[in-house]
Amino acid sequence: MFDSTLNESFVRPAERPASKWRPVTEESPLTRWILIAVALGGLAVLVLAPLAVVFAEALAKGAGAAIASLAQPEALSAIKLTLLVAGISVPVNAVFGVAAAWVITKFDFRGKAFLITLIDLPFSVSPVVAGLALVLLFGSNSLLGGWLVASGFPIIFALPGIVLASVFVTFPFVARELIPVMIEQGRAEEEAALTLGASGWRVFLTVTLPNIKWALLYGVLLCNARAMGEFGAVAVVSGKIRGQTATMPITIEMLYNEYLSVAAFTLAGVLAALALLTLVLKTGLEWRHADQLAATRRH
Amino acid sequence: MHIEIDEIAKSFGNTNALRPVSLAIPSGALVALLGPSGSGKTTLLRILGGLEFPTSGRVLFDGQDATGLSVQERRAGFVFQSYALFRHMTVFENIAYGLRARPRRTRPPEAEIERRVTKLLDLIQLPQIAKRFPNQLSGGQRQRVALARALAIEPRMLLLDEPFGALDARVRKELRHGLREIHDTTGLTTVFVTHDQDEAMELADLVVVMSMGKIEQVGRPQDIRARPATPFVREFIEA
Amino acid sequence: MALALLRSQKSPMPGFGLGMGITMTMLSLIVILPIGALLAKGISYGPEGVWATVNTPRVWAALYLSFRLAFVAAVFNLVFGTLLAWVLARYEFPGRRIVDAVVDLPFALPTAVAGIALTALYAPNGAFGSIAKSLGQKIAYTEWGILIALIFVGLPFVTRTVQPVIAEIESEVEEASATLGAGRLYTLRRVILPLLLPAALTGFALSLARAVGEYGSVIFIAGNLPMKTEIAPLLIVIKLEEFDYNGAAAIGIAMLLISFSMLLVINLIQIWSRRRIGHV
Repeated sequence: MFDSTLNESFVRPAERPASKWRPVTEESPLTRWILIAVALGGLAVLVLAPLAVVFAEALAKGAGAAIASLAQPEALSAIKLTLLVAGISVPVNAVFGVAAAWVITKFDFRGKAFLITLIDLPFSVSPVVAGLALVLLFGSNSLLGGWLVASGFPIIFALPGIVLASVFVTFPFVARELIPVMIEQGRAEEEAALTLGASGWRVFLTVTLPNIKWALLYGVLLCNARAMGEFGAVAVVSGKIRGQTATMPITIEMLYNEYLSVAAFTLAGVLAALALLTLVLKTGLEWRHADQLAATRRH
Repeated sequence: MHIEIDEIAKSFGNTNALRPVSLAIPSGALVALLGPSGSGKTTLLRILGGLEFPTSGRVLFDGQDATGLSVQERRAGFVFQSYALFRHMTVFENIAYGLRARPRRTRPPEAEIERRVTKLLDLIQLPQIAKRFPNQLSGGQRQRVALARALAIEPRMLLLDEPFGALDARVRKELRHGLREIHDTTGLTTVFVTHDQDEAMELADLVVVMSMGKIEQVGRPQDIRARPATPFVREFIEA
Repeated sequence: MALALLRSQKSPMPGFGLGMGITMTMLSLIVILPIGALLAKGISYGPEGVWATVNTPRVWAALYLSFRLAFVAAVFNLVFGTLLAWVLARYEFPGRRIVDAVVDLPFALPTAVAGIALTALYAPNGAFGSIAKSLGQKIAYTEWGILIALIFVGLPFVTRTVQPVIAEIESEVEEASATLGAGRLYTLRRVILPLLLPAALTGFALSLARAVGEYGSVIFIAGNLPMKTEIAPLLIVIKLEEFDYNGAAAIGIAMLLISFSMLLVINLIQIWSRRRIGHV
């Protein structure tokens, strides 16, 4: 058709036995193994090593010392406080996440993109800035804060502040998991249920909720892990009052700064174990219910 | 270029996609591999293109054993069922891809590449879409661009996998004529896979009816219609 | 009614009122009011005041340090994260699922835990720190320590955004490239990597945004020497401890501006890629 710039009929075929052939979409085995080695090596150094150090330092003086440190009143009250904070923050964010996802995915209205941006905001804000904002709003030197303190409902340096800070930093988690899944599931099932005469709540409880239960669980898992582990925002907001407003991460910091290494790392080990548990549950969910999770599809 | 398929067989694990098949394709012919899904026609096409390696048997191009040739060395223009256009490139860049991918020794200068791409766009009758992206094209346009892209490398043969499969009936008819014209213009040995027997009969010089990894019959369309060789062929043609 | 104005048409679907009510109430209380209070403080302090606070060598040094190291960490994560995503999406090897889960550890691990762990690891008497010491280098309490901490927290972002894109590349596209005569490296360079670019850039920006504001992972390993290894969030904490609310607000607003621009960049990338490639 064109004047060929390739002046041959074709090249002598290289002798290529079947064992050497591989599909064009694959790299050579050597390349593959080198890439795998680099990836795994990097991961081991960057991620696994720190994890290992936590447990190594916690058990540096033996398991007995580690467990004993957990029984200290400081550690116990920290654990209780962290559990309490998570126990409030996670359900609150779950309710919010469901409500926001419902409104965003089942209705059309102007300003939806703006709403989603607002919901995503906490993701991009530094936790310290979040804490700062709460202090400015509710601290005793502000109008609102002064009035609250006077009425006996202090927010800053008290439990409500910590809860608010935790809610802030984990705000988008549940919504972000639910929205893509609910978009993909569409509205048809809910609309069908409505035509069959079901009330709003019934539709939600019997049609929507079962469809999103795995995505909801996934979001709750992540929300919980982050709520229990939040440090920066809580550090600003809590005042770090031992026995009162010192969550587990805060207590870890305090113990560490006092060179109580075993105590600090043991408490850290508890949180690390929780993180591992979260990962296991997360992986399990992804394995079994990938079709119902946002994380396994692109946003 | 004439193609010889010599006792080619292919199995994937425990599945036999192709029993040993043999076929002679004359130079410049327009050949249809016709059959239902699972008949092995696409596997055979991919083996011709070098995308699969046969479990046994040889492929010969102009009498020389080409079984061991890599995909790149074969210079077989391949049009995929999904067209596989490069989404991040314009139509122009897609068509020019094969020429730009050549090593410096054999790469034409940019001006020459531009000339050839323009000529190909004229050939597929879409001169105005050079700057568009694939996601801005219709199905029929994408198919033609895929064809032009394969032709740009001055291939020895043209292989098409269900080239009209994803298109609606009217577009399909137009493109069938287009493919026939391009074949007649270029004189390239062309092999296409289809499950649509109207298509095969209307377009091809030679029809190869396949089923379950075997070749049921090879012949000109009128011969196959007049004298179906096996019960399968008879039923398939009637359907 | 305000709600009716929001809705463009009446919908039979129930729960708009309740859902919107909950959403807006919480959004206001948790997000809008606090951020608003921060901005209000900045306004009451006045732009000149804000600028005066920010425009000091110490603050500039901290902002510059935070941003510069976050950028380097994000670049590292871009390269390594893409490699990781490729290996996880394309190759089978024993323990692949476990490795896939491990990638998410920096997400799930509390920042304070990461902070003390990294410090223990890279301090001169730590497992890796002692290696560095024998080579005459110091990692913890220097910029290198901060860098490693920032790499740690940003690691999953690129991998997680790129991995699904790799998995979705149709093999036919790679095959097409080969049939057109391109070798593997050329295909990688001209076909595969460009398709990954939007996701990789998004991951890069997310990693960067996270690293700039990071506190807990960094504060232990950083050394916190003003002008040398002091990160911006720490400055805010210091100002608060000194009851300099105006100063803290000023730096906070500066950091907020950085965060917003990151968000904007991410959105722009996604718009550009949607137009160019037809998807993100």
